[in-house]
Amino acid sequence: MALLNFMKPMNELEEGGRTSAPVQRDAGEPEKKCPNCHKEIPLSRLWASDLVCTCGYHFRMKARQRIQMIADKDSFRELFSGMHSDNPLNFPGYREKIETVRAASGEKEAVVCGTAMIGKQRCCLFVMESYFMMGSMGSAVGEKITSLFEYAVQYRLPVVGFTVSGGARMQEGLLSLMQMAKTSAAVKQHSDAGLLYIAVLTDPTTGGVTASFAMEADIILAEPGATVGFAGARVIEQTTKKALPEGFQTAEFVLEHGFVDSIVPRSAQKKYLAEILQMHDGRAV
Amino acid sequence: MFSKILIANRGEIAVRIIRACKEMGVATVAVYSEEDRNALHVALADQSYCIGGAEASGSYLNENQIISTAILAGAQAIHPGYGFLSENAHFARLCRKNGLVFIGPDPESMERLSDKAVLKELIRDTGLSVIPGTKAVTSVEEARKAAARIGYPVMLKACAGGGGRGIRLIHGADELEDAYLQATAEAVSAFGDGSVYLEKYIFPARHVELQILADEHGNAVCLGDRDCSLQRRNQKLLEETPSPAVSEEQRRKMIELAVDAVKKIGYVGAGTLEFLLDREGNFWFMEMNVRLQVEHCVTEMLTGIDLVKWQIRIAAGIPLNITQEDVRMTGSAVECRINAGSCGMLKMLHVPGGPSVRFDTCLIQGTVVSPYYDSLLGKLIVFAKTREETLRKMRAALCELVIDGIQTNIVEQLRIVEDERFISGNYDLSFMGNR
Repeated sequence: MALLNFMKPMNELEEGGRTSAPVQRDAGEPEKKCPNCHKEIPLSRLWASDLVCTCGYHFRMKARQRIQMIADKDSFRELFSGMHSDNPLNFPGYREKIETVRAASGEKEAVVCGTAMIGKQRCCLFVMESYFMMGSMGSAVGEKITSLFEYAVQYRLPVVGFTVSGGARMQEGLLSLMQMAKTSAAVKQHSDAGLLYIAVLTDPTTGGVTASFAMEADIILAEPGATVGFAGARVIEQTTKKALPEGFQTAEFVLEHGFVDSIVPRSAQKKYLAEILQMHDGRAV
Repeated sequence: MFSKILIANRGEIAVRIIRACKEMGVATVAVYSEEDRNALHVALADQSYCIGGAEASGSYLNENQIISTAILAGAQAIHPGYGFLSENAHFARLCRKNGLVFIGPDPESMERLSDKAVLKELIRDTGLSVIPGTKAVTSVEEARKAAARIGYPVMLKACAGGGGRGIRLIHGADELEDAYLQATAEAVSAFGDGSVYLEKYIFPARHVELQILADEHGNAVCLGDRDCSLQRRNQKLLEETPSPAVSEEQRRKMIELAVDAVKKIGYVGAGTLEFLLDREGNFWFMEMNVRLQVEHCVTEMLTGIDLVKWQIRIAAGIPLNITQEDVRMTGSAVECRINAGSCGMLKMLHVPGGPSVRFDTCLIQGTVVSPYYDSLLGKLIVFAKTREETLRKMRAALCELVIDGIQTNIVEQLRIVEDERFISGNYDLSFMGNR
C-alpha cells in the first residue's frame, strides 16, 4: 500500500529553549584555533558547520568537501580526472614535491572538474584545491579548466567555479603563464555561446588565477574574508613604498571597489547559486 | 438506572450515546433505516432493529415504529440525540403514555420553551436581556407595523424554528412582504407550523451559548459558554470554549444569571441558552435548545463532565453531584465539524491521535454516505491548556485526518484555523461571509 500523503500544519516554531544540542566535548578531541576569534573549536563542530566558526570565519575547505556541500547528493560526475602535470622544464625537486602533495591531498591536480546539479540545476563545476600546492595553476590545471569550458559549450551548460590559488605554478614557468591566456580564451568562447559563468572566489584567490578566469565570470561572488588580489600586499607595499589601507585585498574591500558582485557566506551559497542558475536558465543574459 | 435504552437516532450521535451507555453498563437498542443497515451504530448496539426505509419520515421520524420497537425490545428509556425527534413534544408525550422515559425535558416544558415568543416572555422575567421583538405575528400588516416600531433591519423567524430554516433578514419595509410569505411557507414545510415573529437584527454579533445541566431536585449548574460564531448560512462550522470575546467577569455574571433563569423556568435536563453578543458586550437572549447540542463535546473536553451520561442520570432521577464551584473551566477546546461534500463510499479512514484529540464519528471503512441524511461525518475536537496550543493541536490534527473516497471540508477547516482573524479571536458571525 502506498504511504499516506499527509498535509503539513503551518504551525510556527515554538519559542524559547536551546536551538541545538550543546557540544559534548570528548576528552582529547582535536581542536582548531580560529585565527579570527582565537577560540579553540572542536573539529567535529567545525565539520558540522561546513568549516565556519561561530564568529563567521571561513576556514579553507578541501575541494571534495566543497563539492559535497554544493552539489546535490550523488549528482557530481568527475571529468578529466586523468590529466596531470609532468615536469616539462625538469625543475629541480618538482617531481618529488608533486608526489608528496598528491599523497597528502589525495588529488592528482589542483582542480577538480565535472558536471553536477546544484538545487536541481545542471551545470559544469570546477573547484580548486587549496591543499594541492595552494591551488597553483600549472599546465594541467589550465588544461582541465579549458576542457571544462569547452565541454560546457558543447553541451550548452553554465559553469560554476570555486577558485583558490596562490597564482601560476612557478615550477612550470612560462607554461604556467600561458594558461592565463588559454583559459581566458575558453571563457570567452563560452561567453560568446551565450552561456552563464559564475565564479566564487575563496581564500585566497590571487596571482595568475585572479588575472584570468577568476575575474572573467558573468557573476563574481566571494566568501567572507577571502583574500582576493593579484600581487601580494607585502610586495606592493615594498614596491610602492606606501602604506596600504586597512582591509586591503579582502573580499569586503574588493566588493566596495567593484571587483566582485556579492559576498555570500558558505551556508547560503548553495541556495544562492541554485537561484541564479534557475533565473538565468543556463544563459548569461 | 435504566438497564436498556433505545437510541432513536443515527450517525455519530447514536454512536456517542451507545458509548456512554456501554460505560454505564446500560444495554442498547439501535434503530435504523434500510439505508443504514451497515452503519456503525447498528453494529455497536446490543440489539438493532430496522424500522423503515431510507426516508427519515418512515424511519427515524416514525414515532409509532420507534415506540413499539422500544416496548418489544424491553427498553425503559429512549434517547433522541439531536435533530429528528429530540425537540418533539408529541413524541415525548407518546413515550410517557407508553411507560417509556424520554431522555430530555418533559413535554410540557418542551412545548412552553419551543415557542420562542413564549420563551422570551419567560426569560424576560429572569433578568436576562431579550432581543427587542414581537410575539407571533399573523399578517403582513401586523409585521409591517411591528417592524416600524422595532426599527429596521429586522429578522423574521419561525416560532418553531431551528437549524437556520424559516429565517429572513429584512433591511427595509419594501422587502417585508416577500420575506414574510417566504418565511411562513418555509416554516410550514419544515416544522408544520407557519407562525413567525420579528426581532431586532443585531449586527455585528457573535453567537455565544451557555450549557446548562439541571436535575429534578432543583440543582442546576452551568458548564460554561461556547462560541459558535463560525457559521455559514446559519449552520455552525466550528465551535470553541471558552469564547475569546467574553471576559472572566462577564462569564461569571452570565453563568449566575443563566443558572438562576433555568431554576426559575423549572427546566430539567441538558439545555442550552443561546445569545447574541454585540460589540458593546451585551448578551441578547435568542432561544433555548432543550436537547443535546452537536457541539456539546467542547464543553466535555473543557470540563471533563460527560453530558450524555448526565442526561441519562438526570432522566433516571439521579441528583447532580456537581456544584458550580466543581466545574473546571481552565484551558481551551475547539471543535471542527467535518462535513461531506459529496456522497460515496469511504475507502480509507485515518483518525489523528495523541493527548486530548477526539474524533466523534460514525465512519468506518465501507461506510456509504447517502443523500438522505445530514452531511456531518464527524467532529474533530481538541483540548489544551491555552487557546494557542489548542489551535496548534487542531492544525496538526486536521492535517492528519484522512477521509478517502468522500469529499470533505477538512481543508476549509484548516484554512479557518490558520486565518489571522480567527487566531486573534476577534471574529463574528460575518466571518465566513461569502466563502
